[in-house]
Amino acid sequence: MNRRHFVLAGSAALLAACGKSPGKIRLALNWKPDPQFGGFYAAPYQSHGLDVEILPGGAGTPTIQMVGAGSAEFGVVSADELVIARSQGNDVVALFAVFQNNPQGIMVHASRKLNSLGDLLKSGGTVALQRGLPYARLLEKQFGFEKVKIVPSPGGDISAFLADKNFAQQCFIMSEPLTAKHQGADVQVFPVSETGYNPYTTVLTTSGDFLRKNPDRAKAMVAAVREGWRAYLDDPKPTDQRMNQLNPSMAPEVFAEVAEAQKPFIETDEARRNGLGSMTKERWEALIAQLKGLGDIQKAPAAEECYRAL
Amino acid sequence: MRRLRSAIPALIPLVVVTAAAELAVRYGLVKSYLVPAPSSVLRAMIESRVELLGALLTTSTSALVGFLLSTVAGIAIAVFLSSSRAIQRAFYPYAVFFQTVPIIAIAPLLVIWFGYGMRTVVASAFVVSIFPVIANTLSGILSTEPALRDLFRLYGASTPVTLWKLRFPAALPQILTGLRVASGLAVIGAIVGEFIGGQGLGSVVDVARTQQRVDKVFAAVLLASVLGLALFGLINLVSYVTLRRWHQSEQA
Repeated sequence: MNRRHFVLAGSAALLAACGKSPGKIRLALNWKPDPQFGGFYAAPYQSHGLDVEILPGGAGTPTIQMVGAGSAEFGVVSADELVIARSQGNDVVALFAVFQNNPQGIMVHASRKLNSLGDLLKSGGTVALQRGLPYARLLEKQFGFEKVKIVPSPGGDISAFLADKNFAQQCFIMSEPLTAKHQGADVQVFPVSETGYNPYTTVLTTSGDFLRKNPDRAKAMVAAVREGWRAYLDDPKPTDQRMNQLNPSMAPEVFAEVAEAQKPFIETDEARRNGLGSMTKERWEALIAQLKGLGDIQKAPAAEECYRAL
Repeated sequence: MRRLRSAIPALIPLVVVTAAAELAVRYGLVKSYLVPAPSSVLRAMIESRVELLGALLTTSTSALVGFLLSTVAGIAIAVFLSSSRAIQRAFYPYAVFFQTVPIIAIAPLLVIWFGYGMRTVVASAFVVSIFPVIANTLSGILSTEPALRDLFRLYGASTPVTLWKLRFPAALPQILTGLRVASGLAVIGAIVGEFIGGQGLGSVVDVARTQQRVDKVFAAVLLASVLGLALFGLINLVSYVTLRRWHQSEQA
């Protein structure tokens, strides 16, 4: 290596170091790349001066702990997780709520001719759901689980559902039911929000610490994400193609269908009035009161500490 | 008294690590939602004792049944494999399959084959714990001392007699080693099965994790290791009873 090369190499290394260390921002997802994260993949981070690395997750990725511990600057969580975390001293703050209405539901075979969640829980059979989730306990409190067999949620896997007419399972309304329909099942879905439990989900979250030290970058992040979601709602195709490469297990046409089906949960009347991702104090207060009532939290955090409009 | 004193070396790391963890959390070096203080794990254990003990009992039953099945089946398979070189060549590679099977990946299938509940959990415990039994038993049976084998042949002992009176007893120390490894795996297999099939400590861990109750997760994990230790101790006892009169490993 002659001297000129050495200088070049040195300055290149220096440049790389400058470009990398101070600006790098990690965004931890709680699932694989799919349409529920479309706007995060579509967001023009660079034009807001941000260098963002998206970390896909899987079943049980503890994104909220990662954000609290600083191993990711931002994470995607649901509002109930955030309230529970805050009540345990994990200082995390919601910035942008993608899903204004809870897209969680329970899908059943339409041939059972059920009318409601209460109906389902009185009619027997098997129900697969995550018992640890607050809505599961709300259902138990309202209707009781004595008549049904409760089993763990198989995640996105629907083979048990397809094999058994009396099997019901927790799902994302715009996801598993579509897959089941593709496989020839006649599906009916009951939204969890029917029970009155309606937390924001797919919520962009950061730590209180990051927010204090980097208010401008947090603001830039929210702006980029908002633009990303606008772009994704208008034309999901290019982003879907990119996500499909990262997550080939989901068929391209399913990407398109889900992107379409989730729109009403994201662009609600309220979101049209107040802007995509916006949150209200009333909704947070209602959620905190519900979680308190269910015994998920001992001491209630203040609603205004849970979120920040940037 | 001598037994008590011999336990002291094992207690020192326990005390030191527990105290360090407690202090680290108390003084805010580690956040309590990442690593719970030992005192809060203890509190969770006491608070949820009914639920945890019930779960421990369920998991113990499944792990034990799975472990017994893999003991019986594993030894039987090893005896079959040892009967001829050709059989060994034909089937041993398939036994290795059990060792490499990613249980997490096939667990959802187990649910479809065996349904939700105990049968799936037992199957999971069985699948992950059978290989060490096969491998160790086989190697034990195959490494009978040649001189003793010749002696049996000289006296005209039949193959079954040689197996029962010589090869099997001589293989016992290795079989027990296989069982020690298998016992821990059976507990792991049962808990993995419970993640998917429901019930027991696996289900407690799953629910507590969703609720961000790290203290309860640790409490359940601790009970799972107590179960593993108990199984391990049981096999050591069997080993002591069967080997102490003739094998070096139990005479020291």
